[in-house]
Amino acid sequence: MFAFSPPRPSLSPELLAHVRPVSLAKSRTVPLGEPWRSFVPGGALRRGSTVVVEAPVGLGGLSLALSLLSEASALGHWAAVVGVDDPGVVAMVELGVDLRRVLFVPRPRGAWAESAADLLDGVDLLLVRPPSRAAHGAARRLMDRVRERGTVLIALSEPRAPWPLPADLFFRVTQAEWVASSRLDARYLTVHVSGRGEAARGAEHVVVVPNRRGRAEAN
Amino acid sequence: MEQLLAVWVESLALEQPDGSTLRDTLALLDSLDALCPFSEGVRLGLYALPLRGPSRFFGGDEAVMRLVRECVLDVVGTEPKLGVAEGLFCAELAAQRELVVPLGSSEAFRRAQPLEVLGRKDLTTTCQRLGLHTVGAFADLDPARVGERFNRHALYLHRVARGELSEMEGQRDLRLARRLAQLRGEEEFFEEQQGFFGQRGAGDDRADAAAHRVRRRLGAEAVVVASLRGGRGPEDRATLVPWGSPQANVRDLAPWPGQLAAPSPATTLAHPVPLQLRDAANRPVVLNTRGTLSAEPAAVIFSSPLRREIIWHAGPWPLVERWWSRHRRRAHLQMVLASGEALLVVAESSRWWLVGIYD
Repeated sequence: MFAFSPPRPSLSPELLAHVRPVSLAKSRTVPLGEPWRSFVPGGALRRGSTVVVEAPVGLGGLSLALSLLSEASALGHWAAVVGVDDPGVVAMVELGVDLRRVLFVPRPRGAWAESAADLLDGVDLLLVRPPSRAAHGAARRLMDRVRERGTVLIALSEPRAPWPLPADLFFRVTQAEWVASSRLDARYLTVHVSGRGEAARGAEHVVVVPNRRGRAEAN
Repeated sequence: MEQLLAVWVESLALEQPDGSTLRDTLALLDSLDALCPFSEGVRLGLYALPLRGPSRFFGGDEAVMRLVRECVLDVVGTEPKLGVAEGLFCAELAAQRELVVPLGSSEAFRRAQPLEVLGRKDLTTTCQRLGLHTVGAFADLDPARVGERFNRHALYLHRVARGELSEMEGQRDLRLARRLAQLRGEEEFFEEQQGFFGQRGAGDDRADAAAHRVRRRLGAEAVVVASLRGGRGPEDRATLVPWGSPQANVRDLAPWPGQLAAPSPATTLAHPVPLQLRDAANRPVVLNTRGTLSAEPAAVIFSSPLRREIIWHAGPWPLVERWWSRHRRRAHLQMVLASGEALLVVAESSRWWLVGIYD
């Protein structure tokens, strides 16, 4: 053995976002579908970034978060959904998600962050819904690992239990309105999109999630 | 279906750590190949060959069995158990019982087997309570009932029981051929085995490894995969099975009469939650025999203090289905609450259940 082993160099967060193991070399982004593509810088989700979706209970947050998976999933990327105890599988298919490449961990019990970390190397997109307010430390560790591994983390939260750290992209549902005829037809979501860098300014968009075919579309 | 000669070699069934099992298997298969070029290693301990060709060549079934027996004795040094039947499932059972099932009788042979041969204890127990003791009795159940009562794996076993599938999941070791080729030192490229999710790539292997990690942490049932099957409501159409279960990727997307149209709820409750509907005068709203509502619903009550105003509803859309031979009346109702939430509820046997949330 060596008399000493050099300590692992600690890299700056900016650098960490861009380096990754050679074996995992791949595109630096994960594709994003309409209507979201036109609302985010670069029109895609940057690997290693954290996206937070925040919506009041029952007002479209889950649909929105699932719709962020659809394009990448349809193009062959793997996704995992942690902490969504009763996923609406039919709705996911309608949104365009390919179920053959989705792993679900519906009830991670107390180990949502650990389960999410276990899945990081295996999927490109990781949707988590913490069962209660996420602890600062757990969120920090998960986000650090996501940055290292080049996965995209999508955290689903509520205003009364917000994600404890600032996100790279932040989708906040401020209003949800159903349009119905003889049945539920479409839901218009008012979504405030903000984030870091180019997205810092923030903008409000009205999108339809789901529409009459169950998909997400621009208003 | 083709008659197979199944060869059960007990001494090769349990793999020894010194590699001798695999070497003996290879030697045995090479010798069997001299008798019949279509001999195959099904898994360690179980080998099979089609009987018709060799039987014609060597002058009858008895002659082939004698040769095979001698071959196993020569190479491995133990007595095999031999059996003949149509299809691998029946052939293995025939070998265990050392029987020759004549051509055309395999159906009756399969149906006469005790349910235990399907290898699922819960299914055996439940069926025995229903007075079903044989594979044949289980096979006669309506597949729809089996699907409702058990999970997808049971439907798969049901197809085996009915003879629609000639071999059972787990009978065949898909890696054996590859391991034998490696032992031979053949450099030939083996096509990647068709895995759980169809054509496999590096991404699939990484996902498999990730699923394994979570299972180690949380238990075998913690990771699930989903698929769709036929059905009316979204709660019927979703199939969630533990990752790694057989046949989890079969999708049945044929049009289904009376299917509830999109959009579907983003949350679909695996275990529906009971609730009550009340009209403006706070009387219970029920689904009457004509499939209409007794009154306009004005509020939904989840548990006594939790009451929400209904601002819009649509339906009921009735479903009449058979469920264990009894007519079952169900109806779907969509509603939007004053809080902005939208729900999918189902009426069944005069009670209301929450089955979906459009969240």
